Amino acid sequence: MAWRNAAARDALKDGGVVDVEIDGTPILLFLMGDEVYATHGICTHALAFLKDGWVENGTVECPLHQGIFDIRTGEALCAPLTEDLRTYAVKVEGGEVYVDLEMRATPHKITPEATEKNAPQEKAPQEEGLHLVVVGAGQASAAAIRAARSAGFNGPITLLGAEPHLPYERPPLSKELLSGKADFASCMRLTEPDTEAFGVVHRPSTRAVSVDAQAKTVALADGSTVPYDALLLATGGRARRLAVPGGDLPGVHYLRTLEDAQAIAKGLKGAKRVAVVGGGFIGMELASAAVDQGLSVTVLERESELMARLMPPALGGAFRQLAQKAGVEVRLGVAVEAIAASSRGLVLSTSDGLLESDLVLVGVGLEPETELAVAAGCAVEGGIIVDAQGRTTVPGIWAAGDCTLHHVAVNGRRRRLESWQNAEDQGAAAGRSIAGITEVAADKAPWFWTDQFGLNIQMLGTPDADDLVAVSGDEGGKGAVYRTLDPASRRLTAVIAFSDPAAIRAARAELASNAPFDLEAAQARLLTDTDEETPEDEDMSADPAAQFAKKYVWPKEGLTAIPDWVYTDETIYQREIERIFQGRTWNYVALECEVPNPGDFIRSHVGPTPIVVARAEDGTIHAFENRCVHRAAEFCRDLSGNTKEFVCPYHQWSYDLKGNLAGVPFRRGVDGKGGMPKDFKNSEHGLKQLAVTTHRGVVFASYVHDMEPLEDYLGEEVLREFEATFDGRKLTLLGHYRHSLPGNWKLYHENLKDPYHATLLHTFLVTFGLLVAGNKSLMLADPSGRHGVMASAKSTAAVSDDKKKEMRAYKEGMTLQEPRFMDFIDEFDSPWSVTMATIWPNLIVQREMNTLGIRQIVPTGPHEFIMKWTMFGFEGDDEEMTRHRLRQGNLMGPAGFLGLEDNEAIKFVQDGMVRVPNGEHLVQLDPDTEGTADTLISEAAIRAMYRHWRDAMGIA
Amino acid sequence: MLTVPDKKVPTQDQAIAAMLLKAEVEAFNTAYSAALDEQRLSDWAELFTPDGFYIIISRENHDRGLPVGLIYCENQGMIRDRAFALEKTAMFAPRYLRHMVGNVAVEPEDADGLIVARANYVVFQVLFDRPDATIHQVGRYEDVFQRTPGGLRLKKRVCVYDSLLIDNALCIPV
Repeated sequence: MAWRNAAARDALKDGGVVDVEIDGTPILLFLMGDEVYATHGICTHALAFLKDGWVENGTVECPLHQGIFDIRTGEALCAPLTEDLRTYAVKVEGGEVYVDLEMRATPHKITPEATEKNAPQEKAPQEEGLHLVVVGAGQASAAAIRAARSAGFNGPITLLGAEPHLPYERPPLSKELLSGKADFASCMRLTEPDTEAFGVVHRPSTRAVSVDAQAKTVALADGSTVPYDALLLATGGRARRLAVPGGDLPGVHYLRTLEDAQAIAKGLKGAKRVAVVGGGFIGMELASAAVDQGLSVTVLERESELMARLMPPALGGAFRQLAQKAGVEVRLGVAVEAIAASSRGLVLSTSDGLLESDLVLVGVGLEPETELAVAAGCAVEGGIIVDAQGRTTVPGIWAAGDCTLHHVAVNGRRRRLESWQNAEDQGAAAGRSIAGITEVAADKAPWFWTDQFGLNIQMLGTPDADDLVAVSGDEGGKGAVYRTLDPASRRLTAVIAFSDPAAIRAARAELASNAPFDLEAAQARLLTDTDEETPEDEDMSADPAAQFAKKYVWPKEGLTAIPDWVYTDETIYQREIERIFQGRTWNYVALECEVPNPGDFIRSHVGPTPIVVARAEDGTIHAFENRCVHRAAEFCRDLSGNTKEFVCPYHQWSYDLKGNLAGVPFRRGVDGKGGMPKDFKNSEHGLKQLAVTTHRGVVFASYVHDMEPLEDYLGEEVLREFEATFDGRKLTLLGHYRHSLPGNWKLYHENLKDPYHATLLHTFLVTFGLLVAGNKSLMLADPSGRHGVMASAKSTAAVSDDKKKEMRAYKEGMTLQEPRFMDFIDEFDSPWSVTMATIWPNLIVQREMNTLGIRQIVPTGPHEFIMKWTMFGFEGDDEEMTRHRLRQGNLMGPAGFLGLEDNEAIKFVQDGMVRVPNGEHLVQLDPDTEGTADTLISEAAIRAMYRHWRDAMGIA
Repeated sequence: MLTVPDKKVPTQDQAIAAMLLKAEVEAFNTAYSAALDEQRLSDWAELFTPDGFYIIISRENHDRGLPVGLIYCENQGMIRDRAFALEKTAMFAPRYLRHMVGNVAVEPEDADGLIVARANYVVFQVLFDRPDATIHQVGRYEDVFQRTPGGLRLKKRVCVYDSLLIDNALCIPV
C-alpha cells in the first residue's frame, strides 16, 4: 500500500478530468457523481494523451483514433482498442485524493470473453469440432478469431500466414514505426498468449496456393493440404509495383509488411533526398515521416491533384498545401517513366524531366490477393464479393479485409475499403457468422485516419470526387474541418477533420441526417475554384507547377498559332533542357568516323551540356559529361584528339576513356593528414555517363538509360530516309563548320518543316531549277510529330508562266558559268534528290544532292543556338567525287547560297519576337492537315511538332 | 611557319626588288579589300586568274587536313558565280564590312612569274541596328600570285580563319 497524494478533491469537477503525474506516470482523475476514478493517462492503442479525450457516460474516448475506455474498469470498449486501460485504486481523505499505483481499481483479468460483454447471450448452438481455417494472418484475421471465439465458436482454428509474424496492424508501418514512436510489439493484433487463450494453431511463413471448395481443402505451397469446415480468406493484398524499368532497383521501396517498413526506416537514415511516388495517404504519410527526419522530399503524383481518386480536388489541395507548408515539393501531373541507378543515387525519368534521389518510396495502391477466392469459385469483381456477414458466394467460405468488397455500395458501386476499421469490422462480422450468429451489426460510416505533418486527420463517411467541399476553422491547419456534400441534395457525404476529434464525434450525427447540410450553422463556407487559387501577393509560396500552368497557356486557336514565349522565355528554355534534351530523347553526338581508333575523342554537346565522346580501348564508344566531379571544371578543352586518359588540369583528377574516375591526387592525404573521406570510393564518383547507341556510323546519346532502340525512336518512315542517306557505306570526315545563330533553336526545326519558304526565300534554288512549287516533293512527319523529312526530286522542266507569277523569287535569264556544281550524281536508293531529315531534338541530316552533312543543334539560351556542321563523304569516293561534294557544299553552311539565307531569316524572326511583346504568329497553311503533307504549301509538320512539344513540356 | 628572312645579307638590288614586290602585293591587297568593302563583288571576281582557286577554310579543318571550306571555288567561273549569286539572288540583312590586311610577307618571284605570299586579315562587320562593329573574322591569307599583263592576279587564295565560331552567316567573302 502506497497511497500517494494526487490532487485536491475540489480540483475535480463532475464529468471532468484532471491529469497529474506521479513518479513519472501520467494519471487521470475522473469525478463521476461522488466517485473518483483514476486511470493511466495514455491510450493503449497509440501514443495519445487521454486527458485531451472526450468524457461521456462513464467512458473516455481517445482523441486520436476514437478508442473508448470504461473509466471505472479500464475496459477497452471498441476498436481500435485491444488492450484495457490500467486503472488505480483511489481514496479520498481530508479533501485530498490519493492514488495507489500498485493497486487496480477493479482488478480483472483480460480474457477474450471479458472484452466482449454481451458474448454469452450471443453464443449460438453449433457442432463440436468444426475446423476453421483462416488464410492470411493480418488484422481482419485477428478480429475474426476474437469474434468467433467470443460468439462461442469452439472448434480448432488454424491460422495460415505467408508472413513470419502473428497478425499485426499496418497503419503504424507508415507512421509511428518509421518515426520510432512505436515498436513492433505495440502493433500486434494477436499475441502469442492470445493464440494460446484462443486455441489457435498458427503456421507462419505458410503460403496457401489453392482451394478446393468441393473437397473443402486448402493446398499449401509445400504440397500438403489442410481440410476445413469453415474457411476465412483474409489474404489482403500486395503493394502495387511501378511497371517501369528500374521499378525494382535497390533503393526503390514499397510498403506492405513490417520488413518493408524496416527497410524504409533504414533507408531514410542514410538518405538526403527522397522521392515519393504516389500522392495518396500512404505516400503522404511516408513524405511526412521523411520530412520529420529533415530530408528533402519530392512527391510525384500522376493526377492533377493529390488523392484525386478518393476525394474532390479542393480537398486534395488541402492535403497538398499541408505538405507544401512542411517543405515537401509536390509535383502534380507527373508520371514516372523509368528509374535508373547512377553514381549520384537514383535517377527518376519523369514526364517532368529528371529527378535525382537517394531513396524512392512508392505508394501507388494495393492489388488485392484474390487468386485463392477465384480458385475456390467465389465471385470476384476487383475484390471478393461478400455479404454483411462476410460470406462469399461459395458456401463454407468467408472473406474479410483488404481483399474484399464492402457489402454496401457507395454511389452505385461496391468498393474495397482499405482501412483499419473495415478490416476490423469485416473480420468481426465473418467471425460471428462462422460461429453461427446471423444477426449483423448496423452499418457504420466508414472511418479512417491518417497522421501526417504533425496533424491527426480523421475521415468519416465516403467523399466522392465530384462533391462540393465546405470548410470551417483554420483552413489547412489544426482545427480545420472539411465537409463534402452531394452537389444535388447538399447532404453530407463525409467529414474530414484536421486534429479535431470532437468534429468527428459530431459528424456521426451529422452524417445520419437526411437534411441538406446547414453551412451557416456550422460556420462553414463552400470552397470554390477561385478560393483555391493563391492570391497574387502570395505567389512566392505558391505551387510552382500551378504557377507554370497558369502562366504558360497555349492560345485558344490551337496549333495554328504559336505564342512568342515558346521562343523567348527563359523558364521554357530551362524546361526544354530538362524535359527534352535530358529527357526521353536520342541526341546526336558524333559520327563514328570522328573517333575511329581507341583513345580518339571529340568534344560534343547534349542540349547545352558539354560532353566528351570517346572510344575506349575495347573499341566501345562512350559519352560522358565534360565536367569534373570534383569542382565541375570543363576539363577537356581540345575539340578532338587522342588520349589514354582525361586529366582535369585543376587538381589532376583523372578519368578513363569510359568516364570512370581513375585517380585522385593525395586521396589518402599526406602524413596521415587531410585527404578524402575514408569511405570515398572512386567507383562511385565517375563522370556522369550517358547511354550511347550507334546506327550506320552515327552516334547518339541519352540521359535516359532505358531508351527504346534508335530504330523505334525514329519510326519506320524516318528510319527509311535515315538509312537512304546512311546506306551502309563507311563514312569519311570532310570537315566542320560552326556558327552561332541568334534565334531560338526550334526555329531551325521549323525552317526544315516549312517547305513553303524554300520556294520563296531561296531565289537561288528556284532560279536554277533546283526546286519549284510543282516539283515532286514530300513533307513527312513521323507519327509522334517530332521528326520530319523534307524531300524533293530535282526537276528538269522549265518553270511555267503561272508559277512564275506567284514566285517573285524567280529571276529569268540567269545562268551559271560553272553549272556542274549543281549536278546530281544519283548514288542513293531513293526517289529524292534532296532530303532534309529533322531528327528530334538536335539533329538535321542534310542530303542536298551529293553534299552530305550533319547539323547538330547546341542551344545556348532561348535566343541563341550554336550549329555544328559535320560534312562527310563515303569510303570509296574518288578524288573527283570528293571535289564534287565540296563544290556542292557552296549551297550550304554559314556562307552557303541557301544556308546563309536561312540563318538570316531565323534571326529576323527572333528579332521580331523580342521587340514586340506578347505576340503570336500564324502557322495556318494547309489547316486541315497535321503531320505529313503532300504539298509544299503547308505548315502541317510544324503543327505536328508543336503537338509533341506541348506533350513533352506539359503545356496544355 | 613564318618565313625567317634569309641570313644571307641580300644585295641592295635584291632588297629593293623585294620591297617593290611587297609594295605591289600590298597594293593588290588594298584594291582587293576595297572591292569587297564596297561590295563590288564582280570586280572582286576579276582579281583571280581563270584557274584561280579560292577557299575560306577554318583553321580547325586546315590543321587536320580536312578539305571542307565555307566557300569553295575551283576556278574563276565559280568565283564569278559566287559574286553573281550574292549580288543578284542572296537575301541577307544590309551590312558594311571592312577588311584590314597586314603583316604581308612575300617570297621572291619565280621564273614562271609566281609569287608566294601571306598576310593576316581582320574583317569588321557593322549591322545597321547595332552600335558596335564586330570582328567578324580573323585569319590569314596563304596566296600564290600570278604576274599577268594586267598586273598581279590571284592564282590561289586560301583564307584560313581562326574565329571558328562564325557569327550567324558569312555573307561577303573575305
